[in-house]
Amino acid sequence: MEKVIIIRYAEIHLKGKNRGYFERVFAVNLERALKGIRHELHRTSGRYLIAAFDEGRTEEILSKIARVFGVHSYSLGYLTGGELDEIYDACLLVAPRRGTFKVESHRAYKNYPLTSMQISAEIGARLLQAFPLKVDVHSPEHTVYVDVRTAHEALVFCSFEPGPGGMPVDTSGKGLLLLSGGIDSPVAGYMMAKRGMSVELLHFHSYPYTNDGAKEKVKELAALLAAYSISPVLTTINVAHIQEAIHSKCAPELNVTLLRRFMVRLAERVAKRKGAQCLITGESLGQVASQTIEGITSSNAVATLPILRPLIGFDKDEIILHAKKMGTFDISIQPFEDCCTVFLPDFPAIKPKLSFVEEEEGKLDVEALLQEAMESEETFTL
Amino acid sequence: MKIYLDNAATTRPNVDAVQRAFSALGDDYFNPSALYLEGVVMHNAIRSARKTLLEAVADPFLYDLIFTSGGTEADNHALFGLCRRGNVIISQGEHAAVYESAMELKRRGADVRLAPLRADGSVDPEKLLALVDDRTSLVSVVHVNNETGAVNDIEALSSQVKERNEHTLFHSDGVQAYGKIAFRLPRSVDAYSISAHKIGGAKGTGALIRKKNIRLLPYLFGGGQEGGMRSGTENVFGILCFAYAAEPKFVSLAREGARLSALRELLWQSLNCDVFRRISPEDGSPYILAVAADGLRGEILQRLMAERGVLVGTGSACSSRHPFSRVVAACGLEERFLHGVLRFSFSTETTQEEVMAAAAAANDAASELISRTGR
Repeated sequence: MEKVIIIRYAEIHLKGKNRGYFERVFAVNLERALKGIRHELHRTSGRYLIAAFDEGRTEEILSKIARVFGVHSYSLGYLTGGELDEIYDACLLVAPRRGTFKVESHRAYKNYPLTSMQISAEIGARLLQAFPLKVDVHSPEHTVYVDVRTAHEALVFCSFEPGPGGMPVDTSGKGLLLLSGGIDSPVAGYMMAKRGMSVELLHFHSYPYTNDGAKEKVKELAALLAAYSISPVLTTINVAHIQEAIHSKCAPELNVTLLRRFMVRLAERVAKRKGAQCLITGESLGQVASQTIEGITSSNAVATLPILRPLIGFDKDEIILHAKKMGTFDISIQPFEDCCTVFLPDFPAIKPKLSFVEEEEGKLDVEALLQEAMESEETFTL
Repeated sequence: MKIYLDNAATTRPNVDAVQRAFSALGDDYFNPSALYLEGVVMHNAIRSARKTLLEAVADPFLYDLIFTSGGTEADNHALFGLCRRGNVIISQGEHAAVYESAMELKRRGADVRLAPLRADGSVDPEKLLALVDDRTSLVSVVHVNNETGAVNDIEALSSQVKERNEHTLFHSDGVQAYGKIAFRLPRSVDAYSISAHKIGGAKGTGALIRKKNIRLLPYLFGGGQEGGMRSGTENVFGILCFAYAAEPKFVSLAREGARLSALRELLWQSLNCDVFRRISPEDGSPYILAVAADGLRGEILQRLMAERGVLVGTGSACSSRHPFSRVVAACGLEERFLHGVLRFSFSTETTQEEVMAAAAAANDAASELISRTGR
């Protein structure tokens, strides 16, 4: 009998001939998450088992598994031999000591001498003798699971912890996340990583108008996102000169609209170099003046890559809830302005007309400004 | 090396003081409460430091001194330990340690009254006195305003307060005054907060000087150190370092005051008067010059000056929650100056060359910002 962690994966079973590929990437991601902790990873049909692990670090292992995308659920249990007595010994270890319970059995190995019902009945009867328990097959407080895998192997466990779901990261291409330091963008990155996308990070700052505290905050966010398999490499670009040029030459109500078009263009240059196939933003429809459909139209007009906006239909409350769950919320609300208000117009355009935006942008030497900004690029590995 | 003119935030520790106190972190690590000889030696060292620090400003027959973890703890101890039923009066120019303590007293139901400021950041004595009535339990007025350097005449204020109500206690936050301006604690001041790291000591040490005959509630309970007022094993290193750093400050107090006053005026005269307006009064602390830039953000100027190798303080950070300093706003500064506050603060190490370079950096930074943003 051996203590093991049973990991079940989500959605991969939907894949046909590509399944092997998804499973391999999933295994690599699990190994990466558990790097530095003694363990063995075994694949069995439809499940992964973590065995021979450092039991003193069980909690740490479980919390790392809980953040690997593709994990549908996981359980801490025992791998035993196939004999009923061996299975029962493991059940004794995981079974509740009081309250109501039932035993639920499965047989992947159909030649086992007992049927599932017989296994449940036999184990249940013995447990009833061992502990002051009561059977309740409809809504038990505890369920003891017995899963007979082969003639010589069975899994026994008593809990199902839900994993984050989704697809293994690195199976759905690569995207570049525009990470602002606010509440939304980390959540957007999480959502795309959850769908298996490998996510790279780009942050725009506006030194000297924004301070180092704001940049440190973004680094802190990036470091936290790395726990969700998001790239720990952060690229930053200074857009202060672009803001100054827009401020001095263009209609003030278009300040933000124009700056976003520059950000899209800069992000595309970074994305293409990093091999990213799309941009990801935390925009949510109508949340602020620049996130209207007209605002989105004006930024999309300069994009050649798709811009994914996974939060587009979310309310702020829903996003905040998610950010709290991820642990990014407390960092995001630290009071450093991510975009200092020096250049904010009193009344930003809510419905900027593309023709007007293009006309105003025509007053600027776009390419020169882009090149100047690209020269400010910095990279931090967190 | 950078030019450091943010000494009101903290000063470079006095190397000599650190070295002399250092043995308390090494061979002389004994607990001052221990009864064997080694402990008694440490106890005596602390007693001697206490004497040095207290006698520099107060009569040791009337006052004693409680070591704390810093100015903030001393202020908290004074407000929470001295306030009684009735009302509490503080000035609008108080450091956050006093102001937020008073706000907490208010949340707990106390009647807290705020005395308005004059343009230089000093409290308006008449308006303060008008707030005092027969139910005033405590008045707290900062000695030297940490943002503008304005000096409040705590001797006059405290005695006038006591004329109105002899039972009212008077506390003053002296963190920016101790070791920097000449004064003796008058009998009418009941408690006075000081801090080590503003005068070359180590961070994490301060003290509350209090009159012996007033009733102060203990702040931390435990082993009964500091006369039972503030339990906890003493920060021996910090305390010794505080005393060693204070000694030379008091020796050179008058000379340094005159030298830095001259440097402060030189700095002011070297700043571009089209951009900067002076907030600090001429009769204020020689250690602080606060100015405000017209229509510019102090925080951005600060960063542009840091790029030029000069570190200064600002009135506030660029944050939506606290768009500008509460204290400077209470001075009645116009809106367009409010965001542009810069604070130059000096130490014994500050030289004329540094002051000239700082003025040039401030002027350059302002010109750059004006040309980049069109203001």
